[in-house]
Amino acid sequence: MDISETQQNDITLVSLTGRLDSSTSAQFEQYILTKVGGQPRLIINFSDLDYISSAGLRVLLLAAKKVKQGNGRLILCTLKEHIREVFEISGFLSILDIRPSEADALAGMEA
Amino acid sequence: MEHVRDLNFTNDLAEIPRLAEAIKAFGEQYDLSVSDVYKVNLALDELLTNLISYAYSDGQQHLIRLHLSLVPDRLTAVLIDDGAPFDPLAEAKPAVLDGSLEERPIGGLGLHFVRTLMDAVSYQRVGPYNQLTLVKSIAAQGAI
Repeated sequence: MDISETQQNDITLVSLTGRLDSSTSAQFEQYILTKVGGQPRLIINFSDLDYISSAGLRVLLLAAKKVKQGNGRLILCTLKEHIREVFEISGFLSILDIRPSEADALAGMEA
Repeated sequence: MEHVRDLNFTNDLAEIPRLAEAIKAFGEQYDLSVSDVYKVNLALDELLTNLISYAYSDGQQHLIRLHLSLVPDRLTAVLIDDGAPFDPLAEAKPAVLDGSLEERPIGGLGLHFVRTLMDAVSYQRVGPYNQLTLVKSIAAQGAI
C-alpha cells in the first residue's frame, strides 16, 4: 500500500493506494497516528484503494476517535463500491463522515 | 464439473497479499464476479489473519491449507490449520454495529464479515486439525 500526502492550507489530504489489510495496516496506523494530534483537519481519499479488511477499519476507527477527541475533523471520500459495502456492513456509514468526491470533502471541511 | 485448487500458506502476515493474488487468479480463471472475489477474499483474509495472529504461540512455522472447490453455482473453501482446538464461530462475541463513534469498540468485525458475506460457515475438529468450511453461492459464470 502507498500513502501520499498533500497540504491545502490547514487541511491534510491523504491518499491511499492499493490494499489496506492486516499486512499493511501497521504501516497505516503508524502514519495516521502522527496526523491526529492537535485539532487536525484531515481528508482521506480512497479513490485508489482497492481493498480494505477489518484490520484497516480498526485503524480508521481508532483515528476517527482520536480526531473527535481533539475536536478535529476527519472526512473520507471517493470510496469504491466494494469498499463502501464493507463500511456499510460494519455500520461505519453512520459514524464516519463520507463524501462522494474530494471536492465535496473539501467543501465539507468549510461547512 | 468441479474445479478445485489447493493452496498452502504459512503463519506469516506477508501471506495475506498472496491469498489475495490466488483468489483473484482463481476468480479470473473461472469468470467469477468482482464482487464475489472480493467477498471470498475478505472472508478468507479475516480467518487467515486470525490464525496467523493468534493460533500459534510456539514461534514455529506452521502450514495452513486452503482447499477451493467450485461447482456451477457454489464456491466452497476449506481452511485447515494445526493449531489448538478452536472454533472461532463459537468464541466470537457479536459485533457491535451501532452507537456513536465514541461508543463503538475497536475490533470484532472480522468474523462478522465472515458470517455476513458467506452463505454458510461451519467448524469441525478433524484429528489434529481445525477445519473451517465456508460456502458462498456464486452468480452464474461464463467459463463453467
